[in-house]
Amino acid sequence: MSQAAIADKIQGCIDQLIGAWLVAVRKDPRIESDDILTQPELIDHVPAILEEICSLIRKGETPGVRNVNEAQVNVYTRFHQGYKGRDLVRELSLLRITLLDYLLEISLAEPGGLDAEEWHTAARILNLYVDEEMRYAISVYSNPPSSAQP
Amino acid sequence: MISQEEFVRFAKDYNEDYILLLTRASRRHYNCLITSFMVLKDFYNMIQVMFDSGQYRYETLPYPFSFRADQVLLKQVGFDDEAVANIFGFLAFVKETQGMEFEDCLEQGTSAMCARVT
Repeated sequence: MSQAAIADKIQGCIDQLIGAWLVAVRKDPRIESDDILTQPELIDHVPAILEEICSLIRKGETPGVRNVNEAQVNVYTRFHQGYKGRDLVRELSLLRITLLDYLLEISLAEPGGLDAEEWHTAARILNLYVDEEMRYAISVYSNPPSSAQP
Repeated sequence: MISQEEFVRFAKDYNEDYILLLTRASRRHYNCLITSFMVLKDFYNMIQVMFDSGQYRYETLPYPFSFRADQVLLKQVGFDDEAVANIFGFLAFVKETQGMEFEDCLEQGTSAMCARVT
């Protein structure tokens, strides 16, 4: 299966993936900050993040500072929502697991499945994307701006 | 070597310019706005790359560059419903006039614009 086809599969299931991730976040007793957020506030930028990940998988582009725009939006928003940094990391970890589980599902559902290289290429991009967001989040949270809003 | 003070000024200038461009979009002043956003995107990337080096800290976070899915942020900044609709209208305007999405336009950079002009 081509990387474009994998991206299409993920893109076609964004609503279901968000639903699964949302349940995982709400059920996780280690995440406390979500209590203060409504469902739309919690979902916020996650669909756009998935769209961006799909775009990077489709283009075979390595995530880096310059092309993870929606991840940067998510950090900005969570920071201003009063979300704890450790909860953001856990939330992102759950997003990563949701996506990796779905990659496995695609692999098992297809007659030929994904071969190891196809799986690895897509998984590498989505892992690096989540890592880039965590890196930015840790930089912001560990050295918080003195003025919250511009 | 760029000092911390200069870095803070860069982030402040970026935030002011970003709001200025969004304000132009909110008033439907779409002409030449795409090229302005291209320049600002380069500035934003430069600031983020500098921040990523670990040598600088933000006094104020820069506004995230992407605004496609950010109605909440746009309202927080002070744009009303009509202004937000006009800002999103700019994305449709880019698609119509450039034949590609705003983000693709930014990615292709000035080469795409030059190709259309010549």
